[in-house]
Amino acid sequence: MMMRIRVSNIVYGIATLVLFSFSIQAVPWEQLPAEQLTKKLETKFSEGKYSKKGADSCLMCHKKNATVMALFDGVHGQDSPANSPMAGLQCEACHGPQGKHNKGGKEPMIAFGKESKLDAASQNSTCLGCHNDPKQMAWHSSSHNLDEVACVDCHQIHTAKDPVMDKLSVNDTCTSCHLEAKAAMNKRSSHTMQWDQMTCIDCHNPHGSMGESALNQLTINDTCYSCHAEKRGPFLWEHEPVVENCSTCHNPHGSINSTLLKSRAPLLCQQCHMDDGHASRVVPQDGQDAFGGGKSCLNCHSQIHGSNHPAGSKLQR
Amino acid sequence: MKYPLNLITLALIAASGSMMSSSALAADFSVNKANTNSVNMDKFQCKRCPDNTGYRGSVEPGAVYNDSDDIHSANAFNSEDGTHGFLNADLQYRGKTGYQAKAQVINLGLANSSAHLEAGKTGSYQAELDYRQLSQYQHDNAKSNLWYADGTLTPSSDVQTQELSLKRKQIGMELSAEHQFGEQDYQVFARYSQEEKTGYKSSSFVSPRPTNFGLPVDATTDKISSGLSIGGQQWLTSLNYQYSEYDNQIESLSLPYLSDVYAPAPDNSAYQLSFSGQYLFNRTAISAQLATGRMMQDEAVIQTSGNPIQNWDGQVDTTDGKLAITSVLDNRLRLVGSVSYSKRDNKSSTWEFAQLESDGISGAFKENVLLDTEKLNYKVNVSYRINSDYRLQAGFDREEMDRSHGAREQTDESTVWTKLDIRSIPNSKLKLKASFSQRDGSQYQASGLTSSIENPLLRKFYLADRDRTAFEAKFNHAPVDWINVSLIGRYADDDYTDTTLGLTSSEDYSYNLNADMQFDKRLSGYAFAGQQWIESTQNGSQSFSTADWSANVEDEFINLGVGMNYGGLLQDKLSIGLDYLFANSSSDKQVVYAATHPQGDYYSYSHSAELYANYRVSELLDAKLGYRYERYYDTDNAQVDVNAIDGLTTLGKLNHNYNAHQVMLSFSYQLR
Repeated sequence: MMMRIRVSNIVYGIATLVLFSFSIQAVPWEQLPAEQLTKKLETKFSEGKYSKKGADSCLMCHKKNATVMALFDGVHGQDSPANSPMAGLQCEACHGPQGKHNKGGKEPMIAFGKESKLDAASQNSTCLGCHNDPKQMAWHSSSHNLDEVACVDCHQIHTAKDPVMDKLSVNDTCTSCHLEAKAAMNKRSSHTMQWDQMTCIDCHNPHGSMGESALNQLTINDTCYSCHAEKRGPFLWEHEPVVENCSTCHNPHGSINSTLLKSRAPLLCQQCHMDDGHASRVVPQDGQDAFGGGKSCLNCHSQIHGSNHPAGSKLQR
Repeated sequence: MKYPLNLITLALIAASGSMMSSSALAADFSVNKANTNSVNMDKFQCKRCPDNTGYRGSVEPGAVYNDSDDIHSANAFNSEDGTHGFLNADLQYRGKTGYQAKAQVINLGLANSSAHLEAGKTGSYQAELDYRQLSQYQHDNAKSNLWYADGTLTPSSDVQTQELSLKRKQIGMELSAEHQFGEQDYQVFARYSQEEKTGYKSSSFVSPRPTNFGLPVDATTDKISSGLSIGGQQWLTSLNYQYSEYDNQIESLSLPYLSDVYAPAPDNSAYQLSFSGQYLFNRTAISAQLATGRMMQDEAVIQTSGNPIQNWDGQVDTTDGKLAITSVLDNRLRLVGSVSYSKRDNKSSTWEFAQLESDGISGAFKENVLLDTEKLNYKVNVSYRINSDYRLQAGFDREEMDRSHGAREQTDESTVWTKLDIRSIPNSKLKLKASFSQRDGSQYQASGLTSSIENPLLRKFYLADRDRTAFEAKFNHAPVDWINVSLIGRYADDDYTDTTLGLTSSEDYSYNLNADMQFDKRLSGYAFAGQQWIESTQNGSQSFSTADWSANVEDEFINLGVGMNYGGLLQDKLSIGLDYLFANSSSDKQVVYAATHPQGDYYSYSHSAELYANYRVSELLDAKLGYRYERYYDTDNAQVDVNAIDGLTTLGKLNHNYNAHQVMLSFSYQLR
């Protein structure tokens, strides 16, 4: 018996020493440097000391917090389907095992957002554990992931309705970082983004895509054709830059010029056409002749996106 | 004995945790990696969780009154002059066993509106219905004596006014289902949508003199898409199909005295089939996609003399693919690489068609040219975290483009870039980026098939050799809790190194400043300001020789905004707010030919202001009263009266200059 007690004491001592070596135990977790906090949370996560009663254990203290309780207004607070967090480990599915968090507040929980010291990849690992579906397929190579954008930088979980999932507020979320896109909406010509009639996600997937520029379609032109099918053709007579890339001439985010053009006719056309005829003609002042008045070059070459007229090789009819 | 053994276990776990931490990888807290050995979820309870089943949401009927003499104001006010009723609603039903339904209605009754209905069982199946209307107003005072009816543009004796605006009405429906078989998750969806686009837009024909006219638009686009995806914990695969069919109800346009002056866009269709997958192992993610598609057009071709065909067999096949690998080697180092491929293969037939004009080289007959393109992109980048405050990224991107029949059949562009993220300043993030790219390619052949009579000194700007240097700085700072400030500065310089004629240089620089403020629980505000300058130069030659004229274009854009909201009036029942926005786009163009010629005005500006008050009548009822003001002005010296220029008929001066007012009243009723 004596031997057993001694062995147990030795074991107890070693264990205590090992634990004591985690000096962070004694430090309030709010003051832990990010690296130590991450280590502590990883340890806690691997220990798996989940609470006895799930959400009730958490709500014992946090029920008075309106933000916490707003979780139940949203999709993450529902107890169905079976893979919903509330149908499984509940609060601890995202915030990690409770451990001794409720005993003196010395143990940290996995936290998200501005106040969290965890890096974006660590925070995002929680979300990606469940959200591994086609919409997120290109996340890992997306510019948002490579720039260490956290899911919660855009998404809100503890709310009835995540603003970024609402057509009326998604543009606000995107343009809170993309200030240049916010400004471009107010240029002389733009898609109807400034009034939220169109949204950034009509064209882009913020989780990345397998196409160009995080576009929903594989190519820039395919994206344009999804609303402008009349320009898809193929046409009997094609215009090379149009076939190649709509953004050669247009800036879809907005332009100082009308019809989203990067430059105006005739100068835009004269950046590619300088023949022995009228295309090279200087137009000293707009509005003086047919080359600089009305629709300029498009007065005659109105089928600039392609013509299906058998005699339309010059894109005139 | 149990107590010490538990301690041993704990000590070992703690030690292993320590070892794991020392692996220096970002943490992985995904729930499927959780250690649930000691969890008894049968005892998990949620007696303290609120019961949120049932209906909730709000319904908001309202009305707007607009006072405007220019239909262009309907873009901002979402409705034309006069009084209009509207409905907003955001409703949700949640059942006890996972059944749920949602309805969102936005501005139903106004020019731009949408409705979305969905119902189903969360995580099992769902049905969705969509409606959306988009309207765009150009001008209500276009002047024309041509009126469209049954394919004919009939001249009338008088010039009359015409509205140029476009309206899109879209409906859509979608069914989706999801099921877990073993450890694999299956998802399937099918969607159908239809869009009707109607209205008039500005266009022009030659008969033989150029005449601007209102082109009627009446087209339907049907779309079908469907997909199946299967996913496990470490992998995901997806098969998707999409089909689109465009049907233009406007056929060839004729004048009473001249047939087929204009061929509207032909009916066409396109499909695309794509297969994609992702595999994750350790901290490496591999994603790949392969897609094949076809664009088809076999509309009847206008029958003219010298046209050898009835229908053209227009067909373009597309192939797209991408492979991307992202690997996190440790918490300091990450490698990313990707290769993408895109091919446009025009398989249509070629024929000789009589042209109404001779170009002096190919004569009066010309063969249609089939344009093919093939693009290969590859990118690599490395990210290294120097310490918790500094992260450095560097990358190399290359694009190789091949095109048939172009003045330059092969171009390639290489870009090197670097980014530095700095977080050493408290409550701040600073990101700096610099890049340099160089575009080169095969020999430029100014006298190619499609550019047979171009000046040999011309370099088309999208094919020309170009050096691009760009810098970007992003700074975000929250000095105190109540304010967050962001500043972005950009500079880009394009130098067309081998261009004598055409675009020779372009500079684009800008800044954008934004501040969001939450002064206290009741008072919030924002302010932003931005400016952008784009300066470009190009040369031309009307003597078919070296440059004898040049043009300098200086574009400038200013954007200012400010707003606030205060919610502390009448015992917090009344909140008031203000939003103001100013935008000014101007372009100053000067042509140098013997002397310098300013081109005349080309600018637009707008002042938009909104005042609103929201009064909480009761716990469930809110009343909102708003007033909006829009001052809009734009001018373009190219816009001239109908017959101001000999030989040209325009739609008149399509400029805008108006003050518009809107008053809005609505009542929002909360269901719960």
